[in-house]
Amino acid sequence: MPGRPSPSVIDVLLFIARRLALAVATVLAVVTIAFVLGRATGEPGALLLPDNATQADVQALNSSLGFDRPLLVQYLDTLVGLVTGDFGDSYRLRESALGLVLQRVPATIELAFWAFLIGLALAVVAALTIQLTGSRVLRAIVGWAGAIRQSVPDFFFALLLVLVFSVLLGALPSLGRTSYASLVLPVATLATGQFVMYLRLLDAALSEQAGQDYVRTAIAQGQRRSTVLFTRMLPNAIVPVLGMAGLNLGGLLGGTVVVEVVFAWPGLGKLLTDAVSQRDFPIVQAGLVFVALAFVIVNTAVDVLVRRIDTRTAAA
Amino acid sequence: MTTSLTLATAPVVRRWRPRPGAAVGALMLGTVLLLTAIVPLLPGFDPMGQDLRAALRPPFADPAHPLGTDALGRDLLSRLALASAVTLGMTVVIVIMNAVLGSLIGILAGYYGGRLEALITLVSNVTLAMPVVLLLIAICAVLRPSAGLTILVLGCTWWVGYARVTRNIAAALRRQDFVVSPLTQGGDSVWVLTRHIVPNVWPHTLIIAATDVATIVLITSSLEYLGLGVQPPVPSWGSMIFDGQRHLAGDPWLALLPGLVMLLAVGGVQFLSQQFTAETRGGLLRKGGMR
Repeated sequence: MPGRPSPSVIDVLLFIARRLALAVATVLAVVTIAFVLGRATGEPGALLLPDNATQADVQALNSSLGFDRPLLVQYLDTLVGLVTGDFGDSYRLRESALGLVLQRVPATIELAFWAFLIGLALAVVAALTIQLTGSRVLRAIVGWAGAIRQSVPDFFFALLLVLVFSVLLGALPSLGRTSYASLVLPVATLATGQFVMYLRLLDAALSEQAGQDYVRTAIAQGQRRSTVLFTRMLPNAIVPVLGMAGLNLGGLLGGTVVVEVVFAWPGLGKLLTDAVSQRDFPIVQAGLVFVALAFVIVNTAVDVLVRRIDTRTAAA
Repeated sequence: MTTSLTLATAPVVRRWRPRPGAAVGALMLGTVLLLTAIVPLLPGFDPMGQDLRAALRPPFADPAHPLGTDALGRDLLSRLALASAVTLGMTVVIVIMNAVLGSLIGILAGYYGGRLEALITLVSNVTLAMPVVLLLIAICAVLRPSAGLTILVLGCTWWVGYARVTRNIAAALRRQDFVVSPLTQGGDSVWVLTRHIVPNVWPHTLIIAATDVATIVLITSSLEYLGLGVQPPVPSWGSMIFDGQRHLAGDPWLALLPGLVMLLAVGGVQFLSQQFTAETRGGLLRKGGMR
């Protein structure tokens, strides 16, 4: 935009400070929810000890876990634990909850990363093909297939893949994380969902760019359509899509949880759902806070980066 | 990415131009609604009754059980009909709760502005930056899962989209002459809100609600699949698919049938809502874009 002053250093710092404050508020909210959840079901002593334990035993365990202190003290203790990375030990496994969470993180990142990368790459290829060929048929086919994929939840699409590739063809494993082959089905489940979402966003963004003056000018000057598409339109279209990607990370993580359960994938989602059903709150707390932190860091980083790269939003 | 909203004066629905997707969508959704409405009236309707001697009958083999039976010998057609009623009913309640709550919050924030608006913006930004689905799983699991809890939790947490859009519209309307002039002549805010703001806002709420139905069905059924939601023996799409998963090799229809019904319902809603949004977009909402 002509005449708009470029943002000063102070503006940029202010923006980053505001984003950081939001990030802190978000993590605090998640910690508070996790804390309230942990206390809402009562004290863990009765759940953890065998049925024939005496009342005194239960109380002793509760006080050794710190549940006899005032709620405010417990809450402040949780906040201190957040800073020092100490979420207490898992009730069942007697190990550091954060350590257990961190052990499972690589498996989850593996799924989410490949799903994101493959989904986005295929979406870029498909969107560019649609723009280059201008094929309405191709866009309609992809649109209908995408709508159908979006109409079934991940866990059902996963079952369909298992039915075809594991049960009928016997080609791919349907459970666990044993070899690279066991990556294929869970990643395919998540990647197809990502693909549809990014293709829609990219196609809309590219179509909007196609109507802009600079595109018409470039083509009028005799530049090739493909050159304009790759060097001018794509960079303009993909930046806001990447911004959306940061926001959609939460959806991807949520989807990964369910897909991990379907495929018995030993990741964070499986750990968290198991911990929830066993009332193992230190793990639930550590897991939720870890996810929220990761989520907020990625979101903030993507937001700052997009503003840095995309001069259209720099001053906003 | 920021989009500014400008208001045009065109009516909400300008001209009814049916798209091929809408007909397909109506057909898909209609099939499910028909199933939900008619099957309970049929003589053999019994979604709970077990008959272990008639367990795992395939579809179309036994006239008493047109779509076969599950591992406990329960009639699959009856269970599908009840599950559809349960999940769709829950979805409708959840969507209405969020639409009303979000629009109310958004209208008040946009109309009054100031600190209220700042607070609401903060809350919605924090909500947007949270892994909501993970939190829902944790909340529903910790507090003894039930249909009511799912409705309560989902019904109070999925309103940010409504609040954002309605806030923008209410803030834009706030400066319009027809809103300002009654105020200068002694009209009170309640009158302005009900007569001028709400009628201009609710079509947008409806658009978001239409597209939200699919999302909510998918989230509720994912919760059901994880065992968080309607509790057995009452069936739901998610729990039926979970039960069917164990018989995927020998009797795949147990998982496929509920999935197919869900596909029909969600796909139908999506195709229909695309028609709906195509009709209304451009009339009221003109996106400012990034020029």
